[in-house]
Amino acid sequence: MLRALSRCHTPVVRLLSPRTAVLIETVRGRKSRTDPKAKSKLGLVKTPPPVDPGEMVVLKERYTEYSLILRALRLEFKEQMLRKKYEEEVGSVAEERAKREAEEHRSLMALNDAENLRMFQNREQRMQKEAEAAELKKREAAILHQQELENYIKEKERQILLLQEEAKDFITPDNLDQRIEEALDNPKNYNFAIDKEGRVVKRTAFQR
Amino acid sequence: MSSAKDTTSFLLKKYHGGHVVIRLALGGATNRPFYRIVAAYNKRARDSKYIEQLGSYDPLPNIHNEKLVAFNYERIKYWIACGAHTTKPVAKLLGLAGFFPLHPMTITEAERRQKAASIEEVTTDNQEQVEQKETL
Repeated sequence: MLRALSRCHTPVVRLLSPRTAVLIETVRGRKSRTDPKAKSKLGLVKTPPPVDPGEMVVLKERYTEYSLILRALRLEFKEQMLRKKYEEEVGSVAEERAKREAEEHRSLMALNDAENLRMFQNREQRMQKEAEAAELKKREAAILHQQELENYIKEKERQILLLQEEAKDFITPDNLDQRIEEALDNPKNYNFAIDKEGRVVKRTAFQR
Repeated sequence: MSSAKDTTSFLLKKYHGGHVVIRLALGGATNRPFYRIVAAYNKRARDSKYIEQLGSYDPLPNIHNEKLVAFNYERIKYWIACGAHTTKPVAKLLGLAGFFPLHPMTITEAERRQKAASIEEVTTDNQEQVEQKETL
């Protein structure tokens, strides 16, 4: 179903049309293009509403005044908006904004520098302490190492002495015969008993 | 001025030769209308997507017999500066609010009503006089 618009939006009064009958051919509402005219409306002649000429003249005047004022208002608003835009982009507002931003930037940079300095000092101190600790460790390690070496040498020397001492009693090919004779001459008895209290008993039952 | 209009949103449809209108968009429920005063493109449907809402108008009077209207004068000024048209009812409302001059039709309709009211008064007085004479 087509919804056709009426011919014009302006009121009939505005057009100052004469009192002739104007048949509005466009149909608005329920009927489509192909629907026939209703039986009750077959002989209908539509006339526009009657216009009072005196009132019309007054109205014309009022309309001219009204449109004049409106045009002036529109131009004034336009000018105001342009001025505001200009101010914001180029004029005082922009300058103030730039100043404020520059100040903010400076203060932020100062803060940043201070922070960096503080961090740098902290880092310096930390590095110093770490270096000292490392030095200390190294020295201690060296001392320990030295001591270990000395201990080792001492231990080895002790063992050598012990061995030398024992070497005196070794059986060599030279001593062999002498020692055999000594051993045969002195028979040793390894039989002994031991009781729970740890007393040694050399005289056993098997002794002859 | 088109630059000011286009900066509203890059998602708006590009219209060829259209213009911005400040008009009433109908909402509400059955037998309960409610209008929003809206800046929209001319070619858009009455109630569809608009650019910005600039106020509202409730045509039914409330408990204290008032019809409430709201306007955002700052934004209306902006849109009129950008070249927006206003429809007749919006112009009449703005005239009654004092932002625009009074619409000529408001004045003429008020005059017509006053004339009709005075004529009715005269006729009722005449009728009363005639009835009094008849009773006497």
